[in-house]
Amino acid sequence: MTERLTIDFTPAEGAVVRMIGLVERRGYVVRGLAMNEQASSASLTIDVEPRDPSRRVQVLSQQLGRLVDVTQVSHSTNGTVA
Amino acid sequence: MSSAAQPTLTNQPQSVSGARLVVEALEREGVKHVFGYPGGAIMPLYDALTGSSLQHILVRHEQAAALAADAYGRVTGRPGVCIATSGPGATNLVTGIANAFLDSVPMVAITGQVASPLMGTDAFQEVDIFGITLPIVKHSFLVRNTADIPRIFAEAFRIATSGRPGPVLIDLPKDISVIAASPEPFEFPAEEEEELDEGAIAVANAFIAGAQSPVLYFGGGIPIARAERALRDFANRSGIPSVATLKGLGGIPTDEPNFIGMLGMHGTRAANIAIDNCDLLICVGARFDDRATGKLDSFAPRARVIHIDGDPAEIGKLRVPEVAISGDISAILDRLSAKPSIAEWARQCRSQKEMWAARYDAPGAGVYAPALLKELSEAAGDKAIFTCDVGQHQMWVAQHCRFSRPQAHLTSGGLGTMGYGVPAGMGALLAEPEAVVITVSGDGSFMMNVQELATLRRYRLPLKIVLIDNSQLGMVRQWQELFFEENFSEIDLSDNPDFSEVAHAFGIEAFTIDHRSEVGPGIQRLLRTSGPILMHVRIDPRENVWPLVPPNSSNVQMMEKGW
Repeated sequence: MTERLTIDFTPAEGAVVRMIGLVERRGYVVRGLAMNEQASSASLTIDVEPRDPSRRVQVLSQQLGRLVDVTQVSHSTNGTVA
Repeated sequence: MSSAAQPTLTNQPQSVSGARLVVEALEREGVKHVFGYPGGAIMPLYDALTGSSLQHILVRHEQAAALAADAYGRVTGRPGVCIATSGPGATNLVTGIANAFLDSVPMVAITGQVASPLMGTDAFQEVDIFGITLPIVKHSFLVRNTADIPRIFAEAFRIATSGRPGPVLIDLPKDISVIAASPEPFEFPAEEEEELDEGAIAVANAFIAGAQSPVLYFGGGIPIARAERALRDFANRSGIPSVATLKGLGGIPTDEPNFIGMLGMHGTRAANIAIDNCDLLICVGARFDDRATGKLDSFAPRARVIHIDGDPAEIGKLRVPEVAISGDISAILDRLSAKPSIAEWARQCRSQKEMWAARYDAPGAGVYAPALLKELSEAAGDKAIFTCDVGQHQMWVAQHCRFSRPQAHLTSGGLGTMGYGVPAGMGALLAEPEAVVITVSGDGSFMMNVQELATLRRYRLPLKIVLIDNSQLGMVRQWQELFFEENFSEIDLSDNPDFSEVAHAFGIEAFTIDHRSEVGPGIQRLLRTSGPILMHVRIDPRENVWPLVPPNSSNVQMMEKGW
């Protein structure tokens, strides 16, 4: 099942690679990406699919939330923002 | 107009080289020791180090700088600092940075980088260390402007220690450290205070009050949060039997009657049985690591779980708890006031602990390593800090030494880094010079950072090294014996050098023992010697670590020693 993560972050060198790398290392396949950036904030939307069913997207959200540049993470399943 | 006509200009920040700004930033953070190795791209910083208040410890390999900084961070709770040049210097730090990341240790790693105009051109000694280390740092910076240096260093130290600690890398291009700049003032937003989840705490208290066979399972999150006092108070107040992970050892003193021991793969049978029989598992600062849980599905199979952690991302990662409480561990534990009626359960746990206590009456006249370590630990007392390498000896230290605080047991728990022990011993000695620091190593691990004997000698660091030598890669051999049908592959180290002679060549006192009767005098000599010393201990290569939970098994399916 594909889940959509919306990540608000402060733009900084390496921030995008850090987020995408974390998603892949934590057991997800990246299926889609979109990003927009304004003056001092940016947002990355990532569609992800777990490599095995034991992976919980809530845990992934919290792991992303630990990144220093990340200000907020939300996720949606089947189009519903969680 | 002359400058003398503008006295206000004297209050302006002076233009200072980037390297000097780095040194000032480190001094401002209270750094006293830095571990490193110079090279081309980092030379401006080494130029600025002379005349500073910082004591630089020149190691003989950059990996040792990072591992020493790791231990320094574990003991002090403040970031250990390591420095290397670009390219191979930086990549040599990688293992140490990963070690700190896996064990959540505060560290600031500073790497030189080629000059900004050369970055991305495959210049001499250029590697993308910022990119290489992304998966193993809490955060990282590539300094693009000299004026940003004070802010970046202040932020790096704050990030390394706040919340769940970890390593922070600062990559410093050579031109940035040469250029002079006037830094702008900066400030950070105040840390928001987390409110405790009162509802969850109330449910936790209700669970505890109603439990008939609860167990307290704690780990490395306790020393990280400096929550030993709160943990001990809670354990005493509630009377709940406790077990520790490898990294939690010392959170509750080993000698406490209700402390049942380490759990997991090489834990005590009593600890694993307690977990198997418990109806409530109170997990504090632990993360259901596979070495602790064995087969996860059969770990505490009848228990409800209360999971308390400083890092909310750890809660529910591997086991979804009935009660989740994240935040300040001490504050949470202090709010758990329920007292269960568990006198009989606690008695059973203590009885199991006694029944399955380790035996030291091994047959034969050779040195029995567990008995030696027990005797050494008792003789060294509470001022001792043990650092380990990785392998059989590491598990024997965890099983047979006594710890009254977690900082007395420095072990590479997450990454399992062979070669950690001696550099960690150096870091611990500089962090706590009054401690008796003992490195327990194996003949495989010892050779991975043997060059650091030169560093011990140079700084006269009084490290006491116990080298347990079975002429094999013992843990690998044990697994090949038990789980690979005795197909022994590439574990023979019988052509090791004479380790005493190696130590002598570095100017370090050393001696060898191989008979049980030599253990007592050997320990006395080790502890009495004022400088660095190595005790080389030859043991039977067939010796194994017991008990052992086989892979993919429940923790109660433990294999035991035969005699």
